[in-house]
Amino acid sequence: MSLDLFLNQVVPVRQKLFRFAYRLLGNEEDAQDITQDALMKVWSQQEKMPELQNMEAWCMRITRNLALDKIKSRKYRLADELDRAGEVPAAQHNPHAMAEKNDVMGKVRQMIHELPEKYRTLIQLRDMDGYSYQEIADILELDMNDVKVNLHRARKAVREKLQNIQVYGL
Amino acid sequence: MDYNQIIAILDRYWEGETSLEEEALLRRFFSEPHPDMPEPLQEAVPLFGYFQEEIANEAALPDMPEIPVVATSSARVVRLSPFRHWMKYAAVLLMAIGMGYAMKQYQQREVKASLAEIQQQKLEAETRMAYLETKKALELLAKNLNKGTTQMQKLSYFNDATGIITGTN
Repeated sequence: MSLDLFLNQVVPVRQKLFRFAYRLLGNEEDAQDITQDALMKVWSQQEKMPELQNMEAWCMRITRNLALDKIKSRKYRLADELDRAGEVPAAQHNPHAMAEKNDVMGKVRQMIHELPEKYRTLIQLRDMDGYSYQEIADILELDMNDVKVNLHRARKAVREKLQNIQVYGL
Repeated sequence: MDYNQIIAILDRYWEGETSLEEEALLRRFFSEPHPDMPEPLQEAVPLFGYFQEEIANEAALPDMPEIPVVATSSARVVRLSPFRHWMKYAAVLLMAIGMGYAMKQYQQREVKASLAEIQQQKLEAETRMAYLETKKALELLAKNLNKGTTQMQKLSYFNDATGIITGTN
């Protein structure tokens, strides 16, 4: 029974867990390790599986907790802009426009990374992964109203910073 | 596309009041180029561009390795005849006999050792008794000898006195 649940509901979301861990850690190898650890932890708690309402949210929560533990334990250095330098696409049709776009993108990326971890995760889970408020509440172990309030605050903070970028170029 | 409608949705987006469908609509809208985009929408362009770029970057991440699942088939139950492995039973029986014999030998040795100990204790008690009796007899003898010595000393004084008297005269 547990093996079926694991194969049908946990194994298919492993790529999502990996992406989530990667976002938090900024490193592929560590993200893979954390995902493996999360899958092992899920399997070790297999007796809880039949009672869970949302298996995916539970797996995401375990992955997040493991990733945050890793960050705390090693004073983890998140990948900075230098690490991301290799990610800039080589082929650019209009170098000036692309440079400008990359500059703005870099600022937005930095702005998002400077947000508190909770706000950043909320925005990523909602705007990039498309999770519902209830699913986000399950993942982050928050009340659904707290999710809405914090998402509103996070978007407000992002908007203010975007306006600063637009008006003052900061 | 009706920009006013998008502006209204974006306002609700900033307030955190949009549904998933509306947010998907915004992502679709900002993924396409709009040369005549109104100013209220322009502030959100970098943010949605960031989402789009991050989603594309994450899609390019390597896949997690497959999890190998070992197919487990239920084991066939084989009934064994109780006499099939007679050597096992013989070995167990032999071990039981051996252990019984060893135990019996051990008990016998224990009894012999305890008997020898009792005899030793008895012998020690008798020896001690003989020693005490001998000591008592010797003490009695010494006491009587001391009595004789006192009398002999008196006689010695008398002889000395007699010698002195006879010697002077």
